[in-house]
Amino acid sequence: MKSKTDHANPFAGDSTGIQKRETAARWALRAGSYLVVLTTAAIMLHIFVKGAPVVFRSEWPFVNTQFLTELPSQLHVIEDKQGRRYETGVNGADAIKKELGENYRSEKTIAYSGGGILGPIVGTALLVIVSVSVALFLGVACAIYLSEYAKHGKFLELIRLAILNLAGVPSVVFGLFGLGAFVLTAPVFVDVPADRSVLAIPLGFTTLSFEGWDTCVLSGGFTLAFVILPVIITASEQCLQAVPQGFRETSMALGATRWQTIRYSVLPFATPGILTSSILGIARAAGETAPIMFTAALAFKDKLPWQKDLPPLPADASVFAQWEQSLQRFLGIFTESVQALPYHIYTLAAKIPQNEYSERAQYGSVFVFLVLVAALATVSIWMRIHLRKKYRW
Amino acid sequence: MDFCYGASRALEDISLDVPYHRVTALIGPSGCGKSTLLRCINRMNDRVPGARVTRGQVRVKGKNIHDADVDLTQLRKQVGMVFQKSNPFAKSIYDNVAYGLRIHGEKNKAVLDEAVERALRHSALWDELKDRLGASALALSGGQQQRLCIARAIATLPDVLLMDEPCSALDPISTLKIEELMSQLAREFTVIIVTHNMQQAVRVSDFTAFLHLGKIIEFGPTEDIFTNPREKLTEDYLRGIFS
Repeated sequence: MKSKTDHANPFAGDSTGIQKRETAARWALRAGSYLVVLTTAAIMLHIFVKGAPVVFRSEWPFVNTQFLTELPSQLHVIEDKQGRRYETGVNGADAIKKELGENYRSEKTIAYSGGGILGPIVGTALLVIVSVSVALFLGVACAIYLSEYAKHGKFLELIRLAILNLAGVPSVVFGLFGLGAFVLTAPVFVDVPADRSVLAIPLGFTTLSFEGWDTCVLSGGFTLAFVILPVIITASEQCLQAVPQGFRETSMALGATRWQTIRYSVLPFATPGILTSSILGIARAAGETAPIMFTAALAFKDKLPWQKDLPPLPADASVFAQWEQSLQRFLGIFTESVQALPYHIYTLAAKIPQNEYSERAQYGSVFVFLVLVAALATVSIWMRIHLRKKYRW
Repeated sequence: MDFCYGASRALEDISLDVPYHRVTALIGPSGCGKSTLLRCINRMNDRVPGARVTRGQVRVKGKNIHDADVDLTQLRKQVGMVFQKSNPFAKSIYDNVAYGLRIHGEKNKAVLDEAVERALRHSALWDELKDRLGASALALSGGQQQRLCIARAIATLPDVLLMDEPCSALDPISTLKIEELMSQLAREFTVIIVTHNMQQAVRVSDFTAFLHLGKIIEFGPTEDIFTNPREKLTEDYLRGIFS
């Protein structure tokens, strides 16, 4: 009698190629995924390897404080006859040349690559704050209306379609929209309307003139807000829909108005999700170059937004005059144009002759940029976790 | 009264006089319109697009509730509702019970405290929960959650309390507790309960209405309906010939 193992295997694999195709498909898909991961890792590693040495130092305080706290400036590189190189800013160049005397051989100047990148960091932070505030306000309002108030039907579908399409608009188009809408035609209160004012409405004590906000943080922030609006609306709406219908019904059955229902038993539970969606918004707003090119960003600026030049006050100026100047300087964070990290990187990489010094500034900026976005995202995630704990159902 | 969802008529020729301070049960097979009828009484159907009363009127305390001068929030404050699924807000026990009062503008802590205690006592929860009013309502058991929902609904002192199958998701012991509660509630509120459990209707209600396909087949004292139904259809349903 045959033992069991001598039987032909009833479950033997099919050797006609089905198995081979299966294996091939699995490996092709796996290779594709690995390629994506590898590429991302390579980019990150490259930036870290090249950028970290610019930002970090081996001795105390371990970070390159100059790079993080100074404004961009021209870099002077002076070479002596022994081939030693001295790097300095605009002011130090003459002193070094005098000291070298006969030994001086040559001098090179590299635009924007000296100093630090405080200007772009501050500018990007301001743009992100303005744009995310505006976009969250408009986006959440819109999402609440669409999800809680609007009647289902063709019109609502049309609005949804429009919002989705907005997400597909190229960012440079948003830039031009911002130029036209905010830089050139947004309303401001002025005493004397400019010639290019589209419409001036005299109000007696002042004039409401549609002459635009000029290139400034506000214009750029609003433009960026429209870039990230579709993301925020869509995500917020999903978060609102995820709140159980029972909460709404109960609240209504207790006699709450619709707004009370939203305020006390829908919004608190949707907030963590809405904040998560704003993370995506932050990263996008910080990274866009085209929308701010025409509306807020400058290639170079030697002042922070709140260091506006104002006529010096007379010695006997009243406290009020001083306050007024301080206020004006403070408002500069909205009304001044700024440098921004993505645009600064673009300038360094595409607008000046390339050499080792400009490359160093590029990698440093890119590294700081990534760290900044990661930090902002971390804060949002932390806020979300914190709120989740408070409002769970 | 007739009631339609869009083009389809859900309720037809409904005529019902709900007795004051009694428990009235609405029974009938699934889809017969019991819940729809219940939701007509505090106009919760307003939320459903296309749903409307097409003929006749609903009167609560002698007032047609579809009159233009009826404030929906006031109506719902005075006609409370408890849902099939217990759905406490993800807030503290105290905040859940105080919700109704707060949205009607009550800010006085002493008044809120008193109302919360009264509502919790009424729903037989006070002794179990008085030491942890700040705890999350979601930590409670299913039966406690449903009683909390009742407490929440009666905290605003409504005149009418609507209950939509309040025990269908609960275990027998919790059900028993809520049934005990109902007879007490009837002393102060007019209670209307939808149930698909006929034994429950017998146990808790004073009057019963039997609905079938959007019509009221029979309405009368619970005893009469269950022991001596006038209609053949009612008898068949009660004997379990169809459900």
